[in-house]
Amino acid sequence: MADERSYEAAVARVEEIIRRLDSGEAGLRETLGLVREGRDLVEYCAGELEAVSRGLEELKLEKLVARLEAERTASEVGARPGTEPGGREGNR
Amino acid sequence: MVLPESATDTLRDGELPGPYPVGAYAAQLKRRLLEFARVQLVGEVWGFRSSAVRVYFELRDGRGALPCSMWRTDFDALGTPLVDGLRIVVGGGCDYYPGSATSSPSFTFAVTELHVEGEGDLLLQLERLRRRLAADGLFEPQKRLVRPLLPRAIGVVTGERGKARDDVLAGLRRRGWAGRLVWAFAPVQDRHAAPAIAAALRELAAIEEVQVVIVARGGGSLADLFAFCDEGLCRTVALLRVPVISSVGHHTDRTLIDDVAAVACSTPTHAAEAAVRIDCRAARSDLLAAARRLDAHGRRAILDRARALGHLSRAPRQHVARNRRHLHQLVRELRASARRACEEGQSLAGVHLLVLGRVAARTRGSEAAKRARELERLSLALAAHDPERTLARGYALVEDRLGEPLPSAATARSAGDLRIRFHDDTVDAKVPISDG
Repeated sequence: MADERSYEAAVARVEEIIRRLDSGEAGLRETLGLVREGRDLVEYCAGELEAVSRGLEELKLEKLVARLEAERTASEVGARPGTEPGGREGNR
Repeated sequence: MVLPESATDTLRDGELPGPYPVGAYAAQLKRRLLEFARVQLVGEVWGFRSSAVRVYFELRDGRGALPCSMWRTDFDALGTPLVDGLRIVVGGGCDYYPGSATSSPSFTFAVTELHVEGEGDLLLQLERLRRRLAADGLFEPQKRLVRPLLPRAIGVVTGERGKARDDVLAGLRRRGWAGRLVWAFAPVQDRHAAPAIAAALRELAAIEEVQVVIVARGGGSLADLFAFCDEGLCRTVALLRVPVISSVGHHTDRTLIDDVAAVACSTPTHAAEAAVRIDCRAARSDLLAAARRLDAHGRRAILDRARALGHLSRAPRQHVARNRRHLHQLVRELRASARRACEEGQSLAGVHLLVLGRVAARTRGSEAAKRARELERLSLALAAHDPERTLARGYALVEDRLGEPLPSAATARSAGDLRIRFHDDTVDAKVPISDG
């Protein structure tokens, strides 16, 4: 389910939750539920912000494509019976 | 005045017609020139100059030249600077200023349209392609894609040595974004450019983590930017799964990729800012504030209610205590009131007692005198009836020996022994037997 989230949707929901809590109309059970949901969303948003704050990672397309293909090949080889993970295919 | 319509008219009579007023002839000439068909001419610009309201230049080629002029406002709107030797295509028609007694006449080709030679063909071609793409509905698909607010990975298609690359980085720095950037370098202006750019876009879109792609190129002539109007490239962009943000040429240029892309920006810096639509530093700050508010709400949700419950639980005790205090107060007031009432009663009783004492004293004195007087009266009455007073007047009382009075002679005879009492003493006597 976490993959279906988006940063903008999470931020919008957090704002909605805070508006509801600020209104003072939520009961105890609802308040605790909203706070729990809000904390979860804030954690998700913090993770997304953290992902774009670790330092600019510049990649060239051809190198990235080559790396992804190598990873895919490795995973296919690893999944093949009788082949060790990371093993090299003879004819390729 | 009627001027001859043609040279044959003048030859019919064997002599030249006229003389006509030159102004009338000039006006006729103007009318005839205006009847010339409007055409396009191609040639090189020479002697460009401008006045407040019109611009003037000559259009020349190897066989001749024509003076041209154009309204200044129309020329400025084109935004095409003219320099000597530039080959241009102009559209318009002949015009003639007939002059006057104080001004010289002049002929001009009045230009209403102007473009650099070759550009017009390109523009026409471009316009046809734009209409075709629009008719195929290819301007819309990219606009319908959801652009993420904060992409983790961005693809960029640009020239490897162009300034656009630095501008994209500057835009991302301005947003405080430091995620994964995938560069797809491609030629951006020769005939190989469009297929290479399209291939790069397809490869970027195939990488799952790439959430948005920027296509950036600096300014140039329309011919330089024509690669970004390639039909194949535009169709590729229109059907990509990821949103494409284009920034091609200067802000006045409008290539077809701008039409099919999700967003068209004026500069690569703006394209980078359109790819990351939030300021990451501000977003972190906002998120921290939101987290604090949530924490505060979470704490208050328990504490406020606990406080309210505590208040409610203390309420009955406080109520009893309050009423007890009130009751004690009433008791104190009651005692004080009773004490005051007793003191006042005692005081009043004292007064009454005093008054009564005085009244009693007064009453007691008069009663005693009255009783004394009564007693005296009674004494006097009694004394008046006292036998002693009768005896004192000389009378004598006959009693028997026991002291009982003998009121009659018979009782005296029967008693025999008598005692005769006088006021001063008694004398015993005896009744003779004969009497008895």
